[in-house]
Amino acid sequence: MGVAGGSEDNRVCSTPASPGVSSFDGVVLEALSDADLVSNHLAAGGSGTSIWLQELFRRHYTKVVTWCLRVAGDSDEADDLAQGVFVKAQRHLGAFRGDSTVSTWLYSITRSECLNYLKSRSLLDDPLDDDVAEALPDDPESRPERVFELHSSVEAAHALLDRELTDTERRVFILHYGDDMPLLTITRLLRLENRSGAKAYLVSARRKLARALRRWRASEKLTA
Amino acid sequence: MAEARFRERSLLRKALSPSHSCATPLELGGLADGSLAQAAAARLRDHVSGCARCQTELTLLKDFENATPGPDEEGVVRRISARLERRFSEASARPSPWRARHGAAPPRRSVFTALNLGGFGLAAATLAAAVTIGLREGRAPELAQPSPAAATVLRSAGITTLSPAGDLDLAPNELRWEPQTGAASYSVQVMEVDHAEVWSAETRDASILLPPALRARMVPGKPLLWEVVGKNAAGRAVAWSGTQRFRIKR
Repeated sequence: MGVAGGSEDNRVCSTPASPGVSSFDGVVLEALSDADLVSNHLAAGGSGTSIWLQELFRRHYTKVVTWCLRVAGDSDEADDLAQGVFVKAQRHLGAFRGDSTVSTWLYSITRSECLNYLKSRSLLDDPLDDDVAEALPDDPESRPERVFELHSSVEAAHALLDRELTDTERRVFILHYGDDMPLLTITRLLRLENRSGAKAYLVSARRKLARALRRWRASEKLTA
Repeated sequence: MAEARFRERSLLRKALSPSHSCATPLELGGLADGSLAQAAAARLRDHVSGCARCQTELTLLKDFENATPGPDEEGVVRRISARLERRFSEASARPSPWRARHGAAPPRRSVFTALNLGGFGLAAATLAAAVTIGLREGRAPELAQPSPAAATVLRSAGITTLSPAGDLDLAPNELRWEPQTGAASYSVQVMEVDHAEVWSAETRDASILLPPALRARMVPGKPLLWEVVGKNAAGRAVAWSGTQRFRIKR
């Protein structure tokens, strides 16, 4: 079977590759698209690794490893996690249909592996939740779940989140409560550089939502 | 207090988790780079514009695409990336796992397409074959020699695993998960952290006992992974658990 990226599309170096440029059977690997590398790997049998797969992965190591490091916060754990992502990508490459970029496809694997990692490492009981609770008045009627209990639909509640919270507050709120992501992980993932990181954004978000709920109840009383 | 917090978290998790209308990461990617079909893009754009969940996912996807290590991360990212590159280069210098196990060329992708495995490939097929033989002969499946499993499993529906997960005091006796609607049987696989298969088996129940030989491999501090694939009555994979991880405390 032919190799994608042949001379007909001018991506082959007809002369020997220059120093520092990887080549295989005359093909300059750097000149091939991610999709070409996937095709060539599958055409070569698709099992194990190949020069094509190595080049493909090489292009994405930095972003996957950076992401895993931010999720795990520990270099050994990030190493295991990133290796799991690429082993899974290697196994599943035959199911890659090319209807998304390889990068997006790797993101979906990385996201899934990272959430499973957080779940399996029992990191979901976030000790910082106590700090958040202490920073807020203990008012059952102002708890954030009331936003969803009092609104007629999830869409209406999402509109409230959109209206009341800043982009960062909304992301922290959704990642922490929707994905059970620990606040330290969110701080690293969103590259928050303020002193208390995601915790400050969560406290602020909950205060704003509590105020919105009080306003909402007051307006309901007036209407009644 | 604890009960109130548990209730709060359950309600919020339910309300803020992706809904059936939410875009998958692949769809969000297609929406962002304009590669999604026009009709699907129009439908999703409407949803995403009013969905805080999808907007957060889209931001994370963009952050991932542009992720570059900060000054505090550069050294570690470089070291891990170099190790990964070495591992995958070394793996390519060895015979493929399929050839090493069976002494023959691996089947080409088209074989699995022709079998209409619908994206679920060698992992489910290999597990099913190995385990079916085990069941037919009425013996417990044997431990596999450590080797990277040649596998292709596509996530469709998720199976919720119950145990084991995280740090444990004792080696677990069994693997347990929630029964999956539409699954007539389950293939399970226990792996090393590099995803080399240690043991695999098949069951019709939502749990399976672990053999003593496998439990003997669970030494304190050593992490192991496991996953389960649900299959319908025709033997086709219909659900996957994702990879779970556990270890015995030191």
